[in-house]
Amino acid sequence: MRSRLRTAATALALLAGAGLGLAPIAEPVWRAQRGREPALRLQTAAAAGQGVTLALLGGFRALVADVAWVRMYALWERRDLPAVETLLRFVTSVDPRPVYFWLNGARIVAYDFPVWRIAAAGGHDAVPAEVQQRLVREHAALGLRYLGAAMEQHPRSPDLWVEQANIQLNKLGDLDAAAASYRRAWECPRGPFFAARLHAEVLRRAGRAREALEFLRTLHPKLPPNDDAARAELVLARIRDLERELRVPPLLEYRPAR
Amino acid sequence: MDAAAPFPAVAPALETRGLVKDFPVGLRGMKLRAVDHLDLTVPAGVIYGLLGPNGSGKSTTIKALLGLVAPSAGECRVFGVPSPRVEARRAVGYLPESPYFYRHLTGRELVRFYARMGGVSRREVDGRSDEALAAVGLRDAADRRVGTYSKGMLQRVGLAQAMVHDPQLLILDEPTAGVDPLGAAAIGELILRLKARGKTVVITSHLLGQIEDVCDRIAILDRGRLVLEGAVGDLVGRKDRQALVVEALPESELAELKAWLAARGRVLEAVETPRARLDRIFLDRIGRRDGAEEERA
Amino acid sequence: MNRVPFSPLRTWLIAQNTLLEAVRQRLFHFIVFLALALVLGARWLRDFNFGAPELKFLADCGFGAMTFFGAALTITATAQLFFSEIENRTALTLLAKPVWRAEFVAGKYLGTVLLAGGFCALLTGLLMAVLWVREGELMAEFPETFTAGRTVSYGMVALAGAFQWLKLAVLAAFGLLVASYAQTQLFAMASGFFVLVICHLQYLAQEAYARAGSLAGELAGRLLAGLVPNFQVFAVADSLLAEDFPGGGAVARVALYGAGYAAVALGLAIYCFRHREI
Repeated sequence: MRSRLRTAATALALLAGAGLGLAPIAEPVWRAQRGREPALRLQTAAAAGQGVTLALLGGFRALVADVAWVRMYALWERRDLPAVETLLRFVTSVDPRPVYFWLNGARIVAYDFPVWRIAAAGGHDAVPAEVQQRLVREHAALGLRYLGAAMEQHPRSPDLWVEQANIQLNKLGDLDAAAASYRRAWECPRGPFFAARLHAEVLRRAGRAREALEFLRTLHPKLPPNDDAARAELVLARIRDLERELRVPPLLEYRPAR
Repeated sequence: MDAAAPFPAVAPALETRGLVKDFPVGLRGMKLRAVDHLDLTVPAGVIYGLLGPNGSGKSTTIKALLGLVAPSAGECRVFGVPSPRVEARRAVGYLPESPYFYRHLTGRELVRFYARMGGVSRREVDGRSDEALAAVGLRDAADRRVGTYSKGMLQRVGLAQAMVHDPQLLILDEPTAGVDPLGAAAIGELILRLKARGKTVVITSHLLGQIEDVCDRIAILDRGRLVLEGAVGDLVGRKDRQALVVEALPESELAELKAWLAARGRVLEAVETPRARLDRIFLDRIGRRDGAEEERA
Repeated sequence: MNRVPFSPLRTWLIAQNTLLEAVRQRLFHFIVFLALALVLGARWLRDFNFGAPELKFLADCGFGAMTFFGAALTITATAQLFFSEIENRTALTLLAKPVWRAEFVAGKYLGTVLLAGGFCALLTGLLMAVLWVREGELMAEFPETFTAGRTVSYGMVALAGAFQWLKLAVLAAFGLLVASYAQTQLFAMASGFFVLVICHLQYLAQEAYARAGSLAGELAGRLLAGLVPNFQVFAVADSLLAEDFPGGGAVARVALYGAGYAAVALGLAIYCFRHREI
């Protein structure tokens, strides 16, 4: 018995020693990974049951979130607002890493929920316009709060900024806020070219044509000439439109570098 | 790998000196002594029987000799090499009691595997395996999974794996357990052939008749101690007596014989009808019938 | 007397036999079948018409199946293939040959690692095939989402499969370390699952100890970090995007980390087994 204990103690000591030597090898990799790994929110999981908690502890957070998302989708088809809302919160709490969950969650909250509630209250003909407006604005604000939480996880995601701009523009009619959001999307790494064009267009609609023109003049030289998505010729056409609108003298018109 | 390295000719095949083996029992430091200061020497080139009741320490002694358990005290050697060393097992073939083999392998795959483990080269393994399987009468069943074998077939394939790498020493623990009389007789003949080739064979068995027929020397263990050891002939034979076998005598001639002996100060101690051995009758009958069937075929 | 040196050939023969035993057993067929069914069954996600993100769900299903069933297969195989030798006494016959105990343990380990490797290769190959086919279908259905061509990095999927195998190899080594010492197969299997959970969570414990702020806490955290590996490190390649592909340095570090732990645990298993009575 004593020799078995001695063997076990020796093995554990050697293992601990070797492990302390190996830990620094993986340390840089782990530190980088940990920085990207959001905290595990076990309280939310605990409400969903022991099985879910065990699955999370076992390293299956992505799969748990995926399964919950698919379940949410099935409930979305049935327009079960409370259940969908609960599952949206659950999914992003369990696995906040995929932008996809935040993006589509915000869309569901901002676009689908008011339609469901109006339909549940009798439809567009039965519900007074001001009530419909209130519901739309309420859920748009909720969608924006949702995106705000998403941006804490993904501050440099252009998709989230574009989505925020879309809600501000389409649901709240807030042109200034939408313009600012499109600008932020463009400034993100790999920001889409269309976000820059939309920023200028929304500025124009907000009565800030001069700002739009200045922006497009600084944008055009940076656009790659052979990139279909960049649409350099479209941007040049917009510059010309704005110069005409603002009656810019020919001498001061924008001259492209090439 | 070299399976045929020479061993010193003078070293005994197996040797224990003061072998003690204790097993811990329970948590309070109590021990069970399975082998108690055993001094045993098995010379090379003999067939040696190791006998004893259940729990006498035979299996523990064999395991200590094979390096499978560590002695609590004393030492063991195989052809002069200390048992804990791997080299000690190079010249040993072992058949454990109630053998259990890899069920997922066929008989041929099993023997090939153990042949390679024993050091047989890839070039020779097929030939050696076939020979070993033929020697134990398993050639026809060689391509069946071991999981489908009967107990007797398991014994035979166990014997094949013990012999396949041509070891100098074979240790066979209950080699005929579960085997029918024909098979047991065949194994006995095989053991005698092995001895004729200069091999040493150590057998443990509870079938004392078989031990008596085959072994040159025996040792009897009881409660971990050696209680008797010697040549079979010396132990079972009575040098101070003779048995004469004659045709059945009528009473008158028997009385004459008694008187003749008495005149010389001798006493006729017993008059018995010689008994044939049941196993011999069985073998003669079954063997003769099988031989006739073979001729007809 | 000629010494019998340690033989890689004998080790390989034992590994081959171990692998053959596993492959011919129904339990392992069942586990593999379940894993394949899960990966293929994820195709029903088509019904939901998620578009390009469906590929993420498929990959998560595949990686999840590899993790869950791979761990179950490894833990069960390590314990069962080792203990069956002891309990059925086939180890008696084998170790009565001129075989080092180290060869026996290393051979059992190598056989189990090969089994896990075959499983991971099979599932990785199947996952890549499923992703390839589905991505092609989605590209035809949603061309605007795939203007830059295929989005899935198949090199990343292959790397994730390789790291999964490495993780299972470490798990097998720890399982063998317990088995070399344990008296029953049930204890060895239960310990294997215990080790799996601890290795996945050790980073949480370490962080908790570090937050405690005391020297004792920090030492306890470091000791835990040394005793068991951090399995989360092997998830560094769990992504589909080429931009997430870890650099060569990171790959080498993870490989060295895993191989180091596997070697240490295997060495200790050999150490514990050397005096075990059969």
